[in-house]
Amino acid sequence: MSEMMAPPRSSATGHAPAATTTIASRVRDRARQTPDLVAMREKDLGIWQGVTWARYWETVKVVGHALLALGIEPGDRVAIHSENRREWLYTDVGTVAVRAMTVGLYPTNPPAEVGYLLSHSGAKVLVAEDQEQVDKALEVLDQCPELSRIVYLEPRGIRHRYDHPKLLAWDDFLALGEEHRVLYPHAVDERMAEATPDDIATLIYTSGTTGPPKGVMLSVSNVEFAIETLVHGGGFTSPPPGPHDITLSYLPLCHVAERIFTVWFNAGAGVRVHFGESIATVQSDLREVQPTILFGVPRIWEKMLAGVMIRLASASPVKRLHARLWLKVADWIGVRLVARGGEHSALTRLVYAIGWIFFFRALRERIGARRVRYVASGASPIAPDVLKFFMGIGVPMHEVYGMTENTAVATGNRPGRVRLGTVGEPHPGVELRIDDNTGEILTRHPGTFVGYFHDPEATAKAMNPDGWLHTGDVGEWVDGTYVQITDRAKDVIITSGGKNVSPSELENGLKASPYVKEAIVIGDRRPYLTALIGIELDTVGEWAQRRSIPYTTYRDLSNKPEVVGLVQSVVDGVNARLSTVEQVKRFRMLSKELDHEDGELTATQKVKRAVIAKVFADEVEEMYRR
Amino acid sequence: MTNVPTPILTFADVRLSFAGVRAIAGVSFGVGRQELFAVIGPNGAGKTSIFNVISGVYRPQAGQVTFAGIDLVGLRPHQIAGLGVARTFQNVELFQHLTVLENLMLGRHHHIRYGTLSAIAWLGRARRAEIANRAVVEDIVDFLELEQWRLLPVGLLPYGVQKRVELGRALAMEPKLLLLDEPVSGMNLEETEDMARFILDIRDELDIPMILVEHDMGLVMDLADRVLVVDFGVPIATGTPAEVQHNPDVIRAYLGEVQRA
Repeated sequence: MSEMMAPPRSSATGHAPAATTTIASRVRDRARQTPDLVAMREKDLGIWQGVTWARYWETVKVVGHALLALGIEPGDRVAIHSENRREWLYTDVGTVAVRAMTVGLYPTNPPAEVGYLLSHSGAKVLVAEDQEQVDKALEVLDQCPELSRIVYLEPRGIRHRYDHPKLLAWDDFLALGEEHRVLYPHAVDERMAEATPDDIATLIYTSGTTGPPKGVMLSVSNVEFAIETLVHGGGFTSPPPGPHDITLSYLPLCHVAERIFTVWFNAGAGVRVHFGESIATVQSDLREVQPTILFGVPRIWEKMLAGVMIRLASASPVKRLHARLWLKVADWIGVRLVARGGEHSALTRLVYAIGWIFFFRALRERIGARRVRYVASGASPIAPDVLKFFMGIGVPMHEVYGMTENTAVATGNRPGRVRLGTVGEPHPGVELRIDDNTGEILTRHPGTFVGYFHDPEATAKAMNPDGWLHTGDVGEWVDGTYVQITDRAKDVIITSGGKNVSPSELENGLKASPYVKEAIVIGDRRPYLTALIGIELDTVGEWAQRRSIPYTTYRDLSNKPEVVGLVQSVVDGVNARLSTVEQVKRFRMLSKELDHEDGELTATQKVKRAVIAKVFADEVEEMYRR
Repeated sequence: MTNVPTPILTFADVRLSFAGVRAIAGVSFGVGRQELFAVIGPNGAGKTSIFNVISGVYRPQAGQVTFAGIDLVGLRPHQIAGLGVARTFQNVELFQHLTVLENLMLGRHHHIRYGTLSAIAWLGRARRAEIANRAVVEDIVDFLELEQWRLLPVGLLPYGVQKRVELGRALAMEPKLLLLDEPVSGMNLEETEDMARFILDIRDELDIPMILVEHDMGLVMDLADRVLVVDFGVPIATGTPAEVQHNPDVIRAYLGEVQRA
C-alpha cells in the first residue's frame, strides 16, 4: 500500500536514458530511498556516532564540488592516505562522482613509497590523515610536480606549525565545496550524468613482492561486475548482504578486498559499516560492534586463535579444564563439519547447542563473533587447522579467492559446500581454466582490469589478447569444481634433486602453530629444504614466562635453547606428515620481527623473499654447510 | 631576570632549607602565559623542591611565589590545585587498581559541584555533570591516544602508558599551569618521542603553559622555550636552550658531576 502511494522517485534513475550506475549513483539512490537509515558509524570520543544516507550523500556532494573547485577533471587522480574512516568514503565516492580515480595509500607506506605512488599516479590532490602522513608527503613533494593540494583531516600539530601554500584543512576544503555549490549548483550532477562504464574508478597499487608496485586500473564496469557478483550474487557473503548486516572496517581500504567489504558492500547493499577508534582497538571494537559479516586475512584469524590460547593458558585450573573440554568438542564438531562441507548433521547440531550454552556463546562474544553469519578469509592461504577451529566454535568461515587484477572476482567457498584446502568454486559468470603446461590459473570475465597504469608492457604480459588474465597462481581442480591453489608460480621451489615443492603449503603448516608467526621455506636449487622461522612474540613470551625463562628482547627470546626446542617440535610435527624430500631438514630463527618499513614485508604483510634472502644470507648459507 | 611581560607564575628569591641543608638558595624566575619553561640541573640540584614549593608541599623560609596574581606561599596543596596548578610526579602516582577512565575521572574532582545526596539520587544535576565530566575525559583519551587502554586497570599497563595516564589526569583538571616532573624518565626512545609530541601539542593546541623538570637534556633542548639551570639550589643561568648550552658555568656544573660520579 505504501509502495503505491509513494511518489515514483525510484524510477527517476529507471527511465532516464540509462545513466551509468557507479558507486556514487548508488549512494545517491540510497539517500533518496532511505534517507534516515544509518549508513555508517564511527566511534568518536567513546560513542558510536551514526551517519545517515542523506548526510553521507550530502557530504559526498560537497566533496565533489570541492574537487571541482580544485580543478579536478575526468580521469585525474585523487590520492587518499589515511586509516579507515568516514572521510575515506566521502573522498572515494566524491572522486568517482566527478569521474576521477581514487588512489589509496597504505598508512604504513614509508616516505619513499609515498613519493613513488604519488609521482607514478600523478595525483593532483592528496587527502592525508594527520601530521604523520602530511610530513611524508612534504618530504617527497619535489618528486610530485602534479600534486597541487594536500588536504589534511586532523589539524592537530599542523594548524599552528605548518605554513605551506599547498596545505588545506578538511573543513576549509568542504567550505570550498559549499562555495562552489552556490555558484554552480548542478556541476556535480552534470559530471555524474556524463559517467561511462569505461571510466576508471580507481587505481589500486598492488604491493608486488618483487619490483615496484603496479597501478591496477579498475573501471566503473569492473566495479559494477564485482558488486553484482560478489555482493548481490552472494560470492563473498551467502546469502547476499543487506541493510541489516553490520561490518567493521579495519583492514587497509587501499586493498581491493577491504574496499569491497567496506565501500562496495555499503553502496551496493546498504550494509552498515563501522569504523573503530584505531588499529590497536580492533579487538574491543569487534566486541562492541558484533558484526554479522566479517572479512579478514589469515594473519588476523591466527592472532585471534593465539589470543584464545593465551587467555586459556593463564586462566584458573577449573576454567582451563572447562575450556579444554569444549575446545575438544569444537574440534570434534569441526572435523564433522569439514567432512560435510560445512553443513551440520542432527548430532553435531545438538552437541553444538549444548556447547553454545556452556562455552561457545561466551567465547564468540569475547572475540566479537557472536552474531556473525558469514566470515570470509582471503588475500593469502589459510591453514586448514585454523579454519577448522573457527568452524568448530560455530563461526562459519569461508576461504575466498581473487586478485586485484580481476577485481577480486574468481572463486569462493559457499555455505554447505565448503571444501577445506580449496578456495572454492568459480562464481557464476566467471570463466576459469588451468593452463595444461604451467598449471597457472587463468580467469576471464567482465571484471578483468583495464590495464596497469602507464605500463602497457606489464599489461600485455598479464593479459592475453583474448581476455584471459594470468593470475600467477598455480592450482589444480579438486572434485571437478573446486580450485586448489598450490602456489605462486614464481615461488615454486625446485630442489637440486629435481623435486617440485610448493613452499606455501609447508609454510602454512608451520604457521598454523600459535608460536610461529613467520616461516620462509628455502630450497630452490639446493639439496634439501630449510626454513627461516620467526616466533610470535606474544605467545612464545607467555610460554617462556610460564616456564620462568627470563628474556629481554625478541632476539634474545628467539635464541633461547628452550625456544629453539619448541620450534623444533613444531617443525617435527609438520615433517611427520610429509615425505622425506618435502621435509624441512634444518631451520634458523629470525633474529628480528619482519617489518614493512624495513622493506622485508609488503604493505599487506607478505614476505619479500628476495629481500629476506639477502638480509639473512649468512643464516641460509650456514644451513647448507656441512 | 623575569623578562616575560605578563608572567603567569613568578618565583622571586625563594629560599628553602631543611635542617641546615640548602635545597633552594635564592632562585627567581617567571613563566609566560604561552611558555614551556624547563628547569634542569644535576641530581639533587633542587629541581623537585622547586615544584614542591609551587604546589604547596613545602613552605619556603623566604621569597615569594605568585600565580596569576595570587600569593601561593602558605596555601595548602589542594587550594593551589584548586587555583589551576596541576602536576605529574617523577614516579607514577596513580590508583593501580582503577581503570584508565576512573583515574582520569578523578582528575575532574575539583570540577564536581554536586553533593552526596544528588549523587545517590542520580537525577538532573549530578547526572548532567557526570556526563559533562566524562566528555572532557574522552577528549583527553582522544588527545593522548589512550583509547585501547580505556577500560584496563592502570597497574597492568606498560610504564610509558602509565606516565601518559598521569599526564591525562593532570589535564583533566583543565589546569592553567602544568608542572611536569621528569615526564620521560624510564621511558624507551619511542615512548619518549610520543611524550615529546604530546608536550608540544599541549602547549600549541591546548594553550597551557608548562614547567618541565627533566634529566633528558636532548628533550629539554628540543622542546623548551627557556631553560633555568640550577646546581645545589643555586641558579646558574636562565635563557633559551642555545644560550644555556654554551654557558661556561653550565658546562662546568655538568662536567663536574661526571667527575664526581
